Amino acid sequence: MSTINNPSLAFHTRATGQMNALRRSAEQLQGQLATGERIGRSSDDPVAAARLRSLGRADRLAAVDAANASRAASDLTLAGDALEGIGADLIRVRELALWAANGAVSPEGRAVIGQEIGELRTAILARANARDTFGNALFAGQASAAAYVTAADGTTTYAGTAQAGELSLGEGQSVGRGVTGPQFLSTANGGTTTDVLAFLRNLSTALQTPSGDSAAAADAASSAIGILDDALDTLNRTQTIIGARLAWIETVQDRQVTTTEARAEQSADAGGVDFAATVARLQQTLTALDASQTGFARLSSLSLFDAI
Amino acid sequence: MSGSLLTIGRSGALAARAALELTGQNIANAGNAGYARRTLGLAEVAAAGGIGLTGSTVLSGVRASGVERTEVHFLRSEARRSGSDLARAQAEIGGLLAAEAAIEQSGLYPAITGFEASLARLGSDPLNGALRADALEQARTLTQGFGSAAQSLDTAMDAVRADAVSGIAEVNRIATELARTNLGLARVQDGSTGKAALLDQRDALLASLAEQAGIAAEFDAVGRATLRLGGAGGPVLVAGADAASMTVAEAPGGMLQYAVGGTAVQLGSGSLAGQAQALQQISGAAEQLDDLAALLIARGNAAQTTGITPAGNAGALLFDGDNARNIAVALGDGADFATAPAGSGVNSRDTDNLDVLRAALANDGPAAAADRLLFTLSSAISGRGVTRDVLLTLSDTAQAALQSQTGIDLDAEAANLLRFQQAFQANGKVMQAAVEIFDTMLRIG
Repeated sequence: MSTINNPSLAFHTRATGQMNALRRSAEQLQGQLATGERIGRSSDDPVAAARLRSLGRADRLAAVDAANASRAASDLTLAGDALEGIGADLIRVRELALWAANGAVSPEGRAVIGQEIGELRTAILARANARDTFGNALFAGQASAAAYVTAADGTTTYAGTAQAGELSLGEGQSVGRGVTGPQFLSTANGGTTTDVLAFLRNLSTALQTPSGDSAAAADAASSAIGILDDALDTLNRTQTIIGARLAWIETVQDRQVTTTEARAEQSADAGGVDFAATVARLQQTLTALDASQTGFARLSSLSLFDAI
Repeated sequence: MSGSLLTIGRSGALAARAALELTGQNIANAGNAGYARRTLGLAEVAAAGGIGLTGSTVLSGVRASGVERTEVHFLRSEARRSGSDLARAQAEIGGLLAAEAAIEQSGLYPAITGFEASLARLGSDPLNGALRADALEQARTLTQGFGSAAQSLDTAMDAVRADAVSGIAEVNRIATELARTNLGLARVQDGSTGKAALLDQRDALLASLAEQAGIAAEFDAVGRATLRLGGAGGPVLVAGADAASMTVAEAPGGMLQYAVGGTAVQLGSGSLAGQAQALQQISGAAEQLDDLAALLIARGNAAQTTGITPAGNAGALLFDGDNARNIAVALGDGADFATAPAGSGVNSRDTDNLDVLRAALANDGPAAAADRLLFTLSSAISGRGVTRDVLLTLSDTAQAALQSQTGIDLDAEAANLLRFQQAFQANGKVMQAAVEIFDTMLRIG
């Protein structure tokens, strides 16, 4: 005779299996609440885990890009300060040249002016050889040693490279690292390129020549003024370039901050726990577990053997 | 056998007592999962009369014709088949989870990202000794990550192989036991409790064997099983009292090949089949890891050789080795990173060659390949998890259907207890009535 009956072993196995499933679900929800992460291993949600991986990688690389951007900004600021100092010195040299061009100055006076121009040239050279916070030359392009070297006979030559190179700021953006010495210390007037340092040296030597040819010295001084004006123009142009680059870096930094915030939000959406919903589900699961435990206890206490 | 009230009553009382004992046996085995419900078969004892014209029958009561064991072949084979499928799915998922854990916990992807970040930092100040040393350390951490991932995958493969070997040992043990059970079934008397117990043992052995490997069983008239592995067309494992033995061999590429008595067999279900699949998956993952390491080595070395170091020498190789196990950093010092392109001077801060290395790592490079590897593994696990849950439900349903036919219901047994007690008492009364009639008749004479 085939009957459908309720074997007690099957009842126990089924009931304990269901209660185990409820308890496992409750423990998983509690673990999510404790860690704040919805995804324990990648296989819990493969697409979200891949998204979190790429967001994490972007975050790490963006942190380095932000550091690079502030490093570039500080280098450019230092360069701008040095150029400002050089500009002040060149204006003083122009004043001195104007004075020396005056025919009423005596040769001794002109010699003193020449000496002062020599001192100012040394100050300009020192600023051109300035270093950044890490000890690398500011105006040597991609070389690391000093930008201008002075030979035994007093001539200075530029010892750096022609380009300053670019620093990558992330997301395909880059900024020029700095300016090279020749960019602001050589002027083109009338088609010929003049090195300002060499020109200042010649001017200083010419003014200090103890000869009676004061007219020639005065002529040298007056023609110097035109070259000095060109040099100041070049310097201004370079300072404008540096200012524009600094503004560009600031724009990039603002965008980096916005992008970082957007990434953090996406990261929370993909892998974070919605606390309100999870707490509600945990409550519901615990209620179901409690009810099934009570029902199981009641049902298993019913036995016909008590009535026999 | 003479028919008399006393004999009839006695036979009824004996039958009722036998039925009570069987009910007691059922109740005692209520918790025994391998026990099928027994009932007592009862048959009437009625002999045709002697040589006479009246053709009267002599009634002699009841006799117990044998212990009947509830048998449902279809439900049992369904429970076996779904149990096999579930075991296969669980074994396969176990192997895949081990592979995923090996690669995730070795921290390979974060290490690749860390190396790329250190190179980006180096770009801001290429001659800085501290930044160069940091980049070298990140490269070392990366190679160690590869090593630990490869080792964990090896451990996972060894675990699967060990499971397969112990599974084979289990199959061989059960096959020997089954052959012995077949021998016992041939000798035992039909309808006895011994036969019922042997049939229970046979079914329990078949159920535990089905979890190891998919089987097809045929039964003959006395209940002996002829067992084939891998479906109805596979080689014979047990026939009568003979048991063949199962072996396993490993082919290159992580393929496990099973054979019964020399004949190869393809297992479609059971945990042995799942372990073969898992081993294949883990070997595939190990191969992909080796390819990833080779990609990193090739790109790193190619970028190094096109540049010069700050000292002005040509760049040496960045990585040694050719797979995930033997990858190592070949540079001894951070100063050997070739950041400047060939042709620039000594101590150049030109970062063109460093940018080449960074671009080679970023564009469809090791990071993208590692991400692809992890995604493939995790989505495979996720998909198989869904399959496993479905198979779990099917297996539970089949088990429940089987139990509902062959399991012990304590309420029904309690009712049977009352019924047979009543029968015993009634038959006792019959015997008492027979004794009174006999006494009366004796006193007449």
